[in-house]
Amino acid sequence: MVSDPKRLLSRRLGLVISYGLAALAMIYLSYSLPHLLPGDFVTAMYSSSNVSLTADQEAQLRAYYTERPGFGHYLVNLITLDWGYSYAFLTPVSTLFFSALPWTLILLGTANVISMIIGFVSGVEAAWRRNSWLEKGMVGGMTVIEGIPEISTGVILLVVFALNLQWFPAAGAETAYADVSFWARLADICYHLSLPLATLVLAYFPGNFLLTRNSMMMVIKEPFVTTARAKGLPAWRVRYFHAARNALLPLVTRFGLRLAFMITGALVVETIFSYPGLGTLLFNAIQARDLPLIQAIVLVSSLMVLTTILGLEMVYRIIDPRIEHVY
Amino acid sequence: MSINADRTFFRDPWFVAGLSLSIFFAVMTLLGPELAPFDPRDISFTPISPPSARHLLGINDGGQDIFSELLFAVRNTASFGLLSGIIALALGIIVGLIAGWFRGLVDMILMRIADVLLAIPAIMILVLTAALFRPSPWILALILSGLMWPSISKAIRAQTLTLRESLHVRSATQIGASNFYIIRRHLLPEMFPLYLIGFAAKTRIAMFMEASLAFLGLLDPSRKSLGMMISYALKYYYMDIWWNWLLPPVVCLSLLIMAVTFLAISLEKVLDPRLKQSLGA
Repeated sequence: MVSDPKRLLSRRLGLVISYGLAALAMIYLSYSLPHLLPGDFVTAMYSSSNVSLTADQEAQLRAYYTERPGFGHYLVNLITLDWGYSYAFLTPVSTLFFSALPWTLILLGTANVISMIIGFVSGVEAAWRRNSWLEKGMVGGMTVIEGIPEISTGVILLVVFALNLQWFPAAGAETAYADVSFWARLADICYHLSLPLATLVLAYFPGNFLLTRNSMMMVIKEPFVTTARAKGLPAWRVRYFHAARNALLPLVTRFGLRLAFMITGALVVETIFSYPGLGTLLFNAIQARDLPLIQAIVLVSSLMVLTTILGLEMVYRIIDPRIEHVY
Repeated sequence: MSINADRTFFRDPWFVAGLSLSIFFAVMTLLGPELAPFDPRDISFTPISPPSARHLLGINDGGQDIFSELLFAVRNTASFGLLSGIIALALGIIVGLIAGWFRGLVDMILMRIADVLLAIPAIMILVLTAALFRPSPWILALILSGLMWPSISKAIRAQTLTLRESLHVRSATQIGASNFYIIRRHLLPEMFPLYLIGFAAKTRIAMFMEASLAFLGLLDPSRKSLGMMISYALKYYYMDIWWNWLLPPVVCLSLLIMAVTFLAISLEKVLDPRLKQSLGA
């Protein structure tokens, strides 16, 4: 069997290399694609403005904007956070990016933690009560919710709770210009977070529920669970300390694979609720055809996803040594 | 992995629900242009009028008939999803079979490429290409399927590795059957259930991506799409239009994705032998 540390190391190295290649491919795409564009920036920017350029100015501007930095130079700029200026906001792209990033992290982070906890606990309980009416109803309900995309959930929640009932704010992440204490501000942020958070939780937790339930169903049949029950342990102990620990693994291992897909939903949900995260920034950049901003958001967020997935791969190889045999 | 199961399928309510929804949308997709009372690009009506006998769902802000718009939008979103699902499936089958059957260096190279593609968030590539080049949606569907095949091909490769050790494949090799013959006669048909599962899962993702891209305003605005209809209707939320303009595309999109989800879940339940036991179906 594969307990040879050298082979383990080479497998891990292979993983790092393929993720490194993926990152390089992304960076190279983002470096080379804009140069394939037809037309040029000077015409796009000045042809419809009131500024009239002399031939000399135009030639100089054109020379400036068509100057191609090498790929090495591009990499250095990327690492030193020198991502150029936004055409639409007339601010450095990195400033815009880092002012939006925390909101996205708060939203995605809480949504994932909450949906994992709810999905896991309800999945374990459902599997424990298998073939009961409660379990069948739960599975049915979750399958239906799993079928509703984030766009629809978001729009429905927005129309019902923000626009008609007016219980929750329809846009933003906090009340603008409010000068309040720390705790009041925190409450305000949570209040604004509630609708987008609910949308994402509704989108994520049915998947977690179904996954946990399915793997729990298999674990429950294992002999060690019967042994634990035969020893006379309380049911909740058997459920969570013996069976559920093993059912937790697929939840962690699938997370990385689903992350790349989850980003799509987060983009849309932020836009629906005008939540000032990366999704809304990207939406605004698209509306204004602000290419440097679009490029930076696309590239940096993909790199962040890549690092997260790589980190997870490393972690769950430690949690579950059986994974090593699969590859 | 045999399909002994037409009866099992029709006893599963999810399969029946998914199938009926799919048939409903298939009719809507195929007959959409004939059913639509007006050209969805015709802007000659009074903007933002409520529904009437002539215009079942009223008129949008651009003076277009919303019902006709909806029919075309369902057609576009569904065909985008189906196209990228089919191409991703075809790529996944080819790569998975080649990697699993020939093994060795070919396998290693193909699977490393698959790993690289699996890690890249597809939506980001689509946003970048759509924002820079504004390509036709078909090109985007092609790009998407080029990014989605790895998970299908990994499943197929794993199954091929098991199958090539099975008795009938080994005896076929002994008799002297060629690689191509074995792949075509034995491997290709035997993994049919895997294709259905993979196809349903990918189609679902592709439809969701199309709706999101259109919602973000990255697709051609003259091409109707459910995501675009939602994003335009949302701009007029303060008027009383939510039930005739906002709700229909939201419901259609949900039902469309639900149809594929139900089919995917039920196929996985009935056809995946590991699950079948534990579910006691």
